[in-house]
Amino acid sequence: MSALTSTLQRVYGLWWIVLPPIVGSAVMAMIIGALVVAPREIIEGDVQRLLYIHFPSILAAYGAFGVVFVASLVVLWKRDLRWDAVARGAATVGVLFTGLTLATGALWGKPIWGVYWTWDARLTSTLVLFLIYAAYLLARSMADELDEQAARFAAVFAVLGALDIPLVMFSVTWWRTLHPQPIIMRGLERPAMPAEMLAVLLIAFLGIGALALWLGVLRTEAEWLAKRTATLRAKIDRHQGA
Amino acid sequence: MNEAIGPSMAVVMKDLRLAWRDRAGWASAGAFATIAVLVYSFAFDLATGDIRPLLPGVLWTTFLFAGIFAGGQSFARESEEGTFDALLLSPVSPTMVYLGKAAANIIAMLVIEFLQLGLATILFDTNLVSLELLVIVFLGTVGSVSLTTLLSTMSASMRGRAMLLPVMALPLLVPLLIGAVRATGASLNLEVGAAPWTLLLAVAALWSAALSVLLFPIAVER
Repeated sequence: MSALTSTLQRVYGLWWIVLPPIVGSAVMAMIIGALVVAPREIIEGDVQRLLYIHFPSILAAYGAFGVVFVASLVVLWKRDLRWDAVARGAATVGVLFTGLTLATGALWGKPIWGVYWTWDARLTSTLVLFLIYAAYLLARSMADELDEQAARFAAVFAVLGALDIPLVMFSVTWWRTLHPQPIIMRGLERPAMPAEMLAVLLIAFLGIGALALWLGVLRTEAEWLAKRTATLRAKIDRHQGA
Repeated sequence: MNEAIGPSMAVVMKDLRLAWRDRAGWASAGAFATIAVLVYSFAFDLATGDIRPLLPGVLWTTFLFAGIFAGGQSFARESEEGTFDALLLSPVSPTMVYLGKAAANIIAMLVIEFLQLGLATILFDTNLVSLELLVIVFLGTVGSVSLTTLLSTMSASMRGRAMLLPVMALPLLVPLLIGAVRATGASLNLEVGAAPWTLLLAVAALWSAALSVLLFPIAVER
């Protein structure tokens, strides 16, 4: 058992050696690819280069919110506060990348649509997503790290939020939608994007994905350490009181 | 049957009796709703000549905020006095306790809303007392109050709950708000598109009521 634990710890320790260089080089490659390698889009111009951050960011955010959902279910099921730290870490990353998606989208929208913001279906549902998980983080941060009841409440709210997303998307699609329809997966025989653009986009997926993973791991570890510190402090207080 | 709903009825009657004896809480929610409708009517009248198209939005933002305001208060006292822990310790399933609390909140909220409909009928010079609109208000209230009742139970133990509750509830209620505003607009013959908005409202109300009933026992489990 202890051999297994130490092996697991060693593998986990590798995160710190493996992930930072991967994240660094992938993000550098993404920036160079997006700014230099990818050709200039004929109609939209240079502003189209924001797509290389915009689209991978929202996928990373969806992934992070998926982790929040699963981790919250485990909190409710196993009553293990370590999963609460995972959920908080993933929610922070999800909110960050949803914010990045909204910001890059607004910057792109001004020259292309003529407005930074419009109540279009996909914009609205992304904003609601951002608000739900920002509320989750706010609610969780208003109670102590070790408050199990607060962790349960936050987990219930995260489950509610995740189950609300399909309803939000469905309800806002009944409005007329402005957002460009996805063109990347239109079929391999007749791709809608030049090969260089597609290649840069793939690198951007890797870069943003690795960055999201790394930030999520860091945030989760910080939460874990905060919980351990709080536990130790409570022990010291008890000891001094006795 | 009577055995099953007895405890819920007891909670409903307790809450309604308390609400009646100590009218300050709900009266302030009603006063808040009244002042909100008055201010909206006044401010929009300054800005635009025709305020009728704004009416559905005015009504539903007022209803949602008043519901959150009142719902949060109704649990604050319970958690301060320890009533809520006592209710959970009693040999009654938490679902029954929740149904009782939610039903009492819905009834009190409906009273406030019908008064506001009367006030808005005068201020906006539009007949708001129709069966269709009453059904819409009922659906929207069941949906929003069931969710805010669940959330206010949860946030009652947190710091800064007064601010937290609307921040948590309103993003989740966006689908309900869309359905309610559009359905209200349709019943007032405003231009809202052809989608079945009352159906959307009913689905959203059912969603939040069903999930709140399911998640309440999990949330309050100690």
